[in-house]
Amino acid sequence: MKITLTVNDQVYTRECAPSKNLLHFLREDIGLTGTKEGCGAGECGACTVIMDGKAVNACLVLAAEANGAQIRTVEGEAKDGILSPLQQKFMEHHAVQCGFCTPGMLMSLRELLERNAKPGEHEIKQAIEGNFCRCTGYQQIIEAVLDLTGQLEHKGELRHV
Amino acid sequence: MLCEFDYLEPTTLADVLEILGQGDAGVRILAGGTDLLVNIRAGLITPKALVNIKKTAGLDTFAFHPDRGLEIGPAVTINQLITNTEIARRYPLLEQCAEMLASYQLRNRATVIGNIVNASPSADMAPALLCYRAKLTLTSKRGSRKVGIAEFFTGVKKTVLAADEIVEKITIPASEADGKGGYAKLKRIKGHDLGIVGVALHKKQDYIRIAVSASAPTPILAPDFQAKDSPDYIAEQVLAAIKPIDDIRSSREYRRFMASVFVKRLLEEVRA
Ligand code: FES
Ligand code: FES
Repeated sequence: MKITLTVNDQVYTRECAPSKNLLHFLREDIGLTGTKEGCGAGECGACTVIMDGKAVNACLVLAAEANGAQIRTVEGEAKDGILSPLQQKFMEHHAVQCGFCTPGMLMSLRELLERNAKPGEHEIKQAIEGNFCRCTGYQQIIEAVLDLTGQLEHKGELRHV
Repeated sequence: MLCEFDYLEPTTLADVLEILGQGDAGVRILAGGTDLLVNIRAGLITPKALVNIKKTAGLDTFAFHPDRGLEIGPAVTINQLITNTEIARRYPLLEQCAEMLASYQLRNRATVIGNIVNASPSADMAPALLCYRAKLTLTSKRGSRKVGIAEFFTGVKKTVLAADEIVEKITIPASEADGKGGYAKLKRIKGHDLGIVGVALHKKQDYIRIAVSASAPTPILAPDFQAKDSPDYIAEQVLAAIKPIDDIRSSREYRRFMASVFVKRLLEEVRA
């Protein structure tokens, strides 16, 4: 079947098997490999993208279901080689180690920031409860968002820079 | 990779019923897909065709009518329920159970009805719907029938839904609105996890209703209690209604113990 969708403001039309999920479609058919596959089963959140304004696990959405949808992926964050402010804060707070969870984290947080410009710690935790990070321990990620939104009172304990 | 299947996107309920009515057991309804696609990937199901009902007119019904009560269609997601403050205020238990279900991203896709149709003993929406005595409208080409939620589940992952039927909507009586209540769920971790045991409590002026998840082959509704019944009596009756098992996530004894703790804790909360 033929599907057309918009990813980071660019329109793509491709032939696609009905059984292909959105994650594989993004990575294999249009070559956007920023979005990662961890578990492939809705557990880890590495594949999180924003579909029509909502954070979803791209491994559990068929590409066919995304026909006509607006998708945002991590590739939409940096512009002209300059990191987005959210990415910048991730870097400053050492919220990235191996980086495998980062694209999904960024998309979950991007969606959160779009519906809530000043999320509290609880809301941040809730937004990333479906994103597993095996390296940072989450604290730096939470601090990066608090700092971005002007809510970090003290310098994070684990701040490296 | 997923097995090969056809993908259908019917725009009307009549078309959905026509497809289901062909009596092909390999045809599966695709709503949120958060259970179905996982099961397909694991090779547990090998469907011939998936019928996406998210674009079908009318199946996204989600409204409160003072006479008929709250109606929820099969395309309504868990997060739609949580973010509707009016509904969350009228039916607090629905929101509490919804918030305990899976993770934020999954709740953006997972549907209320899908959680019920999947019929896991640990389904988080089941205790709320049992406490509210929800009714399901099961529709096929042959017509519609109404089934109480307590009669819907028949075993682990088993329901009375026939192969040619769809749950067209869930209706929660208006008379159950504006109660007090809560859902306590035991998990291994703070983040998203399947429940080890879950207890929901719904209190109105003169009665208390309690439902328990992950403690029997189906979610269980205990007999109604009077508002003045003692916590010990209520906990005893709830324990008599459940049949938890030993499994990899918990022992039977621990499930029983925590069910009783949760019943008493929730009673204290609503009576405070
Ligand atoms: S790859 Fe999608 S949730 Fe893990
Ligand atoms: S940085 Fe390695 S998993 Fe998060």
